[in-house]
Amino acid sequence: MERLASVLLSSLLLAGLYATMSYGLAVIYGVMRIINLAHAGLMMLAAYVTLTLNTRFGLDPFLSLLVVAPLFFGLGVVLDLTLIRRLPRGGTGPSMQSLLLLFGLWLVLQNLAYVVWGGDTQSILTPYTMSSVPLLGERYGVPLLLVFAVSLLSLVGLTIVLRRTFLGKAIRAVTQNRDAALLSGVNAGRISAVAFGLGTAFAAIAGTMLSTLYAFTPDFGRSLLLKAFCIIVLGGMESFTGVAIGALVLALIENLAAAYTTIPTSFQDAISFSLLVLVLVFAPNGLPALFRGFSRRAVAR
Amino acid sequence: MSAWLKKTGVAPWMVVLAAALLLAPLVADRGTLNDLWSVAFAVVLASAWNLLGGFAGQISLGYSAFVGIGAYTTVLLANAGWNPWLTLPVGAVLAVLFSVVVGLPTFRLRGPYFSIATIGVSEAVRVIASGMEFTGGSSGLRMPSANFHFLSNYYGMAGLALLTVGLVAWVRVSAFGMALEAIRQDIDAAEALGIHSTRYKLLAHALSAALVGAGGGLFAMNFQYISPGSVFDFPLSLRIVLMPIVGGIGTLVGPVLGAVLFGYLQIKLLASPTLRDWNLFIYGGLLMAVMLFEPRGIVGIWERLRRLWRRRAPPTLEASGGA
Repeated sequence: MERLASVLLSSLLLAGLYATMSYGLAVIYGVMRIINLAHAGLMMLAAYVTLTLNTRFGLDPFLSLLVVAPLFFGLGVVLDLTLIRRLPRGGTGPSMQSLLLLFGLWLVLQNLAYVVWGGDTQSILTPYTMSSVPLLGERYGVPLLLVFAVSLLSLVGLTIVLRRTFLGKAIRAVTQNRDAALLSGVNAGRISAVAFGLGTAFAAIAGTMLSTLYAFTPDFGRSLLLKAFCIIVLGGMESFTGVAIGALVLALIENLAAAYTTIPTSFQDAISFSLLVLVLVFAPNGLPALFRGFSRRAVAR
Repeated sequence: MSAWLKKTGVAPWMVVLAAALLLAPLVADRGTLNDLWSVAFAVVLASAWNLLGGFAGQISLGYSAFVGIGAYTTVLLANAGWNPWLTLPVGAVLAVLFSVVVGLPTFRLRGPYFSIATIGVSEAVRVIASGMEFTGGSSGLRMPSANFHFLSNYYGMAGLALLTVGLVAWVRVSAFGMALEAIRQDIDAAEALGIHSTRYKLLAHALSAALVGAGGGLFAMNFQYISPGSVFDFPLSLRIVLMPIVGGIGTLVGPVLGAVLFGYLQIKLLASPTLRDWNLFIYGGLLMAVMLFEPRGIVGIWERLRRLWRRRAPPTLEASGGA
């Protein structure tokens, strides 16, 4: 029982990080119908920028979010204006062309990090990196708890922006029905730029937080990108509550598998990759749609 | 003769390529032959990928799994005392089996969703292969070093490259190829016309998996050493996708052009340490440039240039007609 409680708690902590990692992908997919493969590269780049801010200026990683997030918002807007806007729009689904363009961008970012910071494994050490707090009979690292707090804050912030501001309402309108939003006078070009900026900023927040927990290289983030993708598919691609549920489900599955099965830790990542394929194939519209389908069938019976 | 050429889809440049690959050992030294071997390997990978990715439009980012399956089959069986050449068909068959196992669920997905699922599959395979005992883990495995002849391996790879290009040329003009083309253009319309799209995709996937698997076996024989990092790696999948896209996706000559370009780049990259530091920049930059400016790659650029040339060539006719 004690063990189950600690598994649940650590899943919740992990889910906060996973959700932040996935919101960026979901915002960009929702508004632009683009799967941002460069997401992993942007997280990696943010981790390195945090490292530089930390070693050069002694800035605490969590404080550096105040610099990194706006910086990457700007980078995202620039990327949208210079690259993504040049692609032909067409159809309702995401295009192969945008996928491959962003894939190319990811490679360029990787090479950039490799040239600027070298290929060695890097990590960020703070005075509290090694300290921990006892909770429910287990000890949890202070960085992990801080990461959870920042995740919650940024998710609350995003929700307020999306629900209370005009810009946020425009973003949700374009996500729900692009044509109807355009007819009501929403400036789709500006919304796309803002959405890509927001998505990039969230990638950066996730990258900064990851840098306080894990060591990283320019190759960092590929498995995390697959996990994030798995989460937004679980959550139904567009719904922001769905993303939170998807993050929780993935974190739970990973932690339960680690605690109660004999699957060796080196195969841990294979679980989420296989889950991604299973989810894409059997629940392509996400868990909410799956549950709706079940209840409908139950009612019909 | 030319009617036969048209019917089988064989073009004159293929004959030249074949002659160059097969006659090279008479004149070239070992270093040049090594480079040609790499180009032939790249031609196998790029042209085989093009069957599914180009003709049927299903962009798979997980082809390194087939290279790995072929390579590991060859090494493991050779260490068990088999003749390496006899292991190649076994590797091809195993690659086909794997392609069906992966294809059956993932071919229900369309477009980018299929591509992402293939990244998931290949990453899962890589993680599992690095964790397994029989793959030698991250330290890899060696071939039994006895009786290795580079020249016979060279002819093997050159032969496989020619077989691949020939098969692809034949598929392109066959009913099978037309079905794949229909699937690429509009899968719903193709289904409505009675094309069983999953069956055709599985067939294309299996055919290309067999070719790539055999290529992986020859790769292992030539390098004598493999590890999950060398044959199941994501950058390998990436190069397999980039070659046909940069050359000209869905065409016959495009993947070969891409393979020659990338084979040459690879040789240059290995020779110069400064260039090697920029290799992802080159790959990524090329991919972005192709997507932004000419999605049909080198072949597309060539066709544009030819149109420009044609427009400029008879100016007097147009001028007199207009006046």
